Amino acid sequence: MNTQWLKISGSVLSALLITAGLLATGTGVAAEADSKKGDFTRGVQAWADNCTRCHDVRDPKELRDDQWITTVYHMRIRAGLTGQQTRDIITFMQGSN
Amino acid sequence: MKFKLTAIATAVGILTMGSALAAEVDLEKLQADVDKLNAKAVEWEEWKAPKTLVHLAGYADVGYTDKQGEPGSFKVGTFSPIFHYQFSDIVMMEAELEFTIDETGKSEAGIDYFTVDYFISDYVALIGGKFLSPIGQFRQNLHPSWINRMASAPVGFGHDQAAPNAEIGLMFRGGFPVGGRNTMSYAAYIGNGPTFEADGGEIEGIETPGLNRDGDGGKVGGGRLGFYIPGIKLDLGASYATGKASVRTIDNTGAISYDKGRDYTVYGADLTWRISTFRLLGEYVSQEYGAQASSAAPDSGKWTAWYAQASYQFAPSKWEAVLRYGEYDTPHDGQDRNQSAVGVNYLFASNVVAKLDYEFNENPNPGFDAENRVLVQFAYGF
Repeated sequence: MNTQWLKISGSVLSALLITAGLLATGTGVAAEADSKKGDFTRGVQAWADNCTRCHDVRDPKELRDDQWITTVYHMRIRAGLTGQQTRDIITFMQGSN
Repeated sequence: MKFKLTAIATAVGILTMGSALAAEVDLEKLQADVDKLNAKAVEWEEWKAPKTLVHLAGYADVGYTDKQGEPGSFKVGTFSPIFHYQFSDIVMMEAELEFTIDETGKSEAGIDYFTVDYFISDYVALIGGKFLSPIGQFRQNLHPSWINRMASAPVGFGHDQAAPNAEIGLMFRGGFPVGGRNTMSYAAYIGNGPTFEADGGEIEGIETPGLNRDGDGGKVGGGRLGFYIPGIKLDLGASYATGKASVRTIDNTGAISYDKGRDYTVYGADLTWRISTFRLLGEYVSQEYGAQASSAAPDSGKWTAWYAQASYQFAPSKWEAVLRYGEYDTPHDGQDRNQSAVGVNYLFASNVVAKLDYEFNENPNPGFDAENRVLVQFAYGF
């Protein structure tokens, strides 16, 4: 293990730790947000805002209610959605199905 | 008279008793129907929010390719099922397989990505496993054939070209609001990094399939930061990663060895913008490695690529026109490409598309050629 590797891994780990720290700080806010239910009206907006970034919108009737959960969580990772946006979009998709 | 009144009273009594019995029977049936409906309602609620979920998604495409100087051929592009297993809103396992058929008819299977995603909070997920490289947009989000508006990847954005494909490691990923509906998204990762393919003392290419062993022991880390303005549908991103990677050599006995790790850097920028049915995409990416005198391939090198693509759907019709231009520059003159492409699509649905493209390919270096191609493709995202 050479010094350059230590430097690089140190930088990367620092970046990751800073990220984790910032996010851990936000966990209190997140915990509050986590308790929030999905909202249909916000879901319409989040769906219209985000689901056309890479592809055309999918019809809510294309999938079953349970399938929309995994699909939108998959898109949470792909598109960098927040947890609240995820729950809102699921509520809209299920409510329109 | 007395007899008549008695008869009437008896008849009324019998009828009244019969009605009461009938009402009782109807009530029992009604109660049974209500119980059945309640049971169904509970079942439907279960479908809305089960604890454990299993879902199969994915995409596939077939087509026809006619390349200058070669016979035209029908093609099976890829069949890529995606498996989702999710426990509540805590953990999701995702795996995308890739099945292809080569020229000899032999089928091949691969894992495009396989991750376990732990949703730590509303703003962060921790991802472990093999994930699509978060550098740029095309490789991680735009490459599936039902999303890509052309039948091919832009030059330099295919497998083992300028844009990294995948990585095995750990990644933090998520998004957060930054005022109004605007959001920032981020991905920060550390992984095994790529390896270099050497031939005749030169590095032929940078392999980024997601290596399951870090041969040189030097990790690569970095990520992407994105800013999205939904009001004008503009998504901007910048990516950077750096670390160590090395040349992999396989000797006559099949034994694998690795050079000492050398500097490796990748950086890029990307843009997506949409107005109604008009969409503009653009991306630049560069991968480079440093020199190392003791290596089997000692020189430094740089692979770069960029493309811009515009598409417009003539709504309410289902027809769409696409234009794309891209350049790919490598340390090897024979691999360089400039490409202009034009295409027309028919959108059967948002996830079902037929494409007809013509690619004008050229090698900008004197003494090298590149062949034009016609591509037909039918793609389905499910």
